[in-house]
Amino acid sequence: MMKQLFPKQHVMGFVFSLVLSVVALSVLAFDMSYKMGMAILLVTAIAQASVQLLLFMHIGESEDKKTLYTNIIYALFVGVVTILGTLLTMIWGYQ
Amino acid sequence: MKIDESLPLEYSTEENRLKILGFWIFLGAEIALFSTLFAVYFALENRFGTGPSAQEIFHMPPVMIETILLLTSSFTIGLGIHAMRLGLKKAMMTFFVITLVLGLGFLGVEIYEFVTYVNEGATIQTSAFLSSLMTLLGTHGLHVTFGLFWGTSILLQVRKRGLTPQTANKSFIFSLYWHFLDVVWIFIFSFVYLKGLMVL
Repeated sequence: MMKQLFPKQHVMGFVFSLVLSVVALSVLAFDMSYKMGMAILLVTAIAQASVQLLLFMHIGESEDKKTLYTNIIYALFVGVVTILGTLLTMIWGYQ
Repeated sequence: MKIDESLPLEYSTEENRLKILGFWIFLGAEIALFSTLFAVYFALENRFGTGPSAQEIFHMPPVMIETILLLTSSFTIGLGIHAMRLGLKKAMMTFFVITLVLGLGFLGVEIYEFVTYVNEGATIQTSAFLSSLMTLLGTHGLHVTFGLFWGTSILLQVRKRGLTPQTANKSFIFSLYWHFLDVVWIFIFSFVYLKGLMVL
């Protein structure tokens, strides 16, 4: 019964996301450059989001999966353009 | 109503499939919403004026508790949907109750955090940094609060009506929403708290 209620895949996904949080936390524990820290945070955050999307939200299981992927990738594109565009015009400058 | 027995209950009718598709499109809009709030925060995070900076007010212990609570709740609602697909109503309801209790715990710690900020003189009106921070955190917290009411209502329906194509569909869509809130929190955890506390 316990085995049936706690599928291995879900348990592994949960453990993996906890491990990723601890890895992300390491940016505070070790002395590292800003670029290095941001690289670690980007990798761990994207990996965690992927675990949620692919494993827990079952994005790839229905026949609509092409539409779902297109929609989410488009939304992420809009999000990245919004954030990087804001930083480009307001903070980094482009001259 | 045509019910396709080969699919899980939540996908078993055309209406159900369209509702799930529609909810994914809504989540796309939510990604855009949170992106604008992150953009505002990143543009203003160093504009703290005479108020406290991120380094001065962020404390990791409550943030870690919030992260663990939300990550665990995302796991338990995943188990809830898994149990639902096995037709185990009682196990599914138990997992959903655990999820909502963890969500309530998250909200409690977040409220405690906001009260601490205000007691330290960091209110939403203190600086551009704090306005953008509290708008971002507040919008996420509001989503969690709404989710608690939504989840509770769905639980009551499942208890009353059992696992039908309708209630299974609602439960599945709610699980999508809950996982999405966890994803948003991961980005807040990484790019607000950890980034803010990184020693440069």
